[in-house]
Amino acid sequence: MAGFLILLTFLMAGTWLQDLLQLPVPAAICGMLLLLVFLLLRGKVPHSLDTTTRFLSPWLPMFLVPVSVGVTSQAELLQQKGPLLLVILIVSLIPGIIVCGLIMQGGKNKS
Amino acid sequence: MMLLQTPLFWAFLTIAAFIAGQQLYLKLHKPIFLPPILTAILLLVGALAITATPYVTYMQGGRFLHELLGPLIVMLAVPLYQQFHTLRRQWLRISLAISAGSLTTIAAAWWLTDWLLNDDVLATTMLAKSITTPVAVAVTQQLGGNTALAASFVIVTGILGAVMIAPMLKLMKLDQPETVGLTLGTCGHAIGTARALELGPVQSAYAATAMTLTATLHAILLPWLF
Repeated sequence: MAGFLILLTFLMAGTWLQDLLQLPVPAAICGMLLLLVFLLLRGKVPHSLDTTTRFLSPWLPMFLVPVSVGVTSQAELLQQKGPLLLVILIVSLIPGIIVCGLIMQGGKNKS
Repeated sequence: MMLLQTPLFWAFLTIAAFIAGQQLYLKLHKPIFLPPILTAILLLVGALAITATPYVTYMQGGRFLHELLGPLIVMLAVPLYQQFHTLRRQWLRISLAISAGSLTTIAAAWWLTDWLLNDDVLATTMLAKSITTPVAVAVTQQLGGNTALAASFVIVTGILGAVMIAPMLKLMKLDQPETVGLTLGTCGHAIGTARALELGPVQSAYAATAMTLTATLHAILLPWLF
């Protein structure tokens, strides 16, 4: 629970920072960056935070289910535009994969 | 029925549906096209349709879980910190590949949506498609897109990425483990990373790094640009 308290502390700090500087970046991301800076300065992950992370990580997708179920409220839109949106999602992925692969491996092929 | 109006019932059903999804995933030997989250969503959408329960009623229970997304996003700093040493060695190549790759795919999606559907809200929602779902939801909210759809775009993109990336890269002879892992994380976020976990330790380390960096980069960049 102490690990969870650390997460809440940094979330609140992130919310405060975002509000203070009027940043367009989501508060939770500010909190994440603050925690990253804290970990880099400290040089290791506190034991309680490590335990919490190990416990919660496999369950992360579950917390996304409620917002995803919201597609039910979009049924009409999906009936009209669903297939086209799927095509867009497939087609747009291709250049991304090519660019990412080429930069990561370009010029260092062993053969 | 009274039970259908009780928030706790829907929170219970959400957890139960996810566990059922996990069991099914293990039973079928981890098929990439059916991650537990997809099963859970399908089961709940079905349950809402059968009982004619509006989403608002469901969300009174779903909110209990949804509220925890904030601290869970903060938690992503931990794996990012743990991969810091992997990153330092090839930071220039990695950061170039991640930023160019992820921005190419969302630019393509944004342009296609704008051109084919001419719909601003949908095009904005497309921008968040390559970031892991919790961050995508937060960013979409900030940008004024459609959060319910954003979550679906992200999940569908993840499944497509998990299926398409490895065969495509092999076809182009770009199949070193580092490249496959990094591309899975950049274009397929958490679901791609789950796929990388099955491919090997190098792939999964690069995928996890790429997923977290893509999410951080987009979360910071997109609100400034739009």
